[in-house]
Amino acid sequence: MAKSVLLISRHAPWAGSDAGEALDIALAAGAFDLPLSILFMDDGVLQLLEQQLPRMLEQKDLSANLQALPMFGIEQLYVAQQCLNLRGLGDSCLAIAAERLDDQHIQQLLRQYDYVVTL
Amino acid sequence: MTTLHVLNASPSNAAQLSSCLRLMSAGDGLMLCGEAVQALRDGSAAAQQLLGGERAYQLYALEEDVLARGIDAAALSVTLVDYPAFVALCVDYARVNSWT
Repeated sequence: MAKSVLLISRHAPWAGSDAGEALDIALAAGAFDLPLSILFMDDGVLQLLEQQLPRMLEQKDLSANLQALPMFGIEQLYVAQQCLNLRGLGDSCLAIAAERLDDQHIQQLLRQYDYVVTL
Repeated sequence: MTTLHVLNASPSNAAQLSSCLRLMSAGDGLMLCGEAVQALRDGSAAAQQLLGGERAYQLYALEEDVLARGIDAAALSVTLVDYPAFVALCVDYARVNSWT
C-alpha cells in the first residue's frame, strides 16, 4: 500500500518559489500514483483566486498547473475557511474547486494521512 | 496517530506558530528549534499563545537553541531536548510536520 501524503501549501503564488515547488511535489506524487491531497492555508489560499496576472511580477502562472491536478490523479483539494475569512475572501468564488474546511475538520484531516508535508 | 509539529521560524515574523496551534490535535507534540524558541520568552505575545487555554499537547524545545539565546524557559512547562532526543521524538510520533 502506497503511503498517503497531505501537502499543506501556505505561500502566495507571487511571493517566491514555495507555491510552485509545492505544486511540483503534488504533480510528481501524482505521476507516481501516490495518494496525495492538498490543503491550502494561510497565504496559500490566494493561489485559488481568479484573474491573477503573475507575469506582471515576472512570476510563473501556476493556474495551469492547478487545473492539471485532476489529470494527475489529485482529486482532493481542501482550503482553510478561516484563512479565506481573514483575507476577506470568505464567500469568494475560487478559480479552482476546493472543499472548505474549518479548523476542527483540518485537525481530523491531518490524522488521516501517513505523511504531512508543509511548504 | 499523533503528529510532531516542528517550528523553526521566529514567532515575530511568521504565522507558523498561530497556524500550527490552530490545527494541532490533543496528544500532538510541538518542537521549537532555531529562532522559533523565541516563543518561549516569558511575557512575549508568542508565550501567551503557548500558555493560553488548556494545553493538550507536549511542548519541546532544542536545548542548545534556548541556551544560546539566553532564554529562561522555566516559566513554561517545556521539555528541553538535545539532538539525539529530537531524533527519538521524530520516530515516536506517527508523523512529523515540519513547518517552513
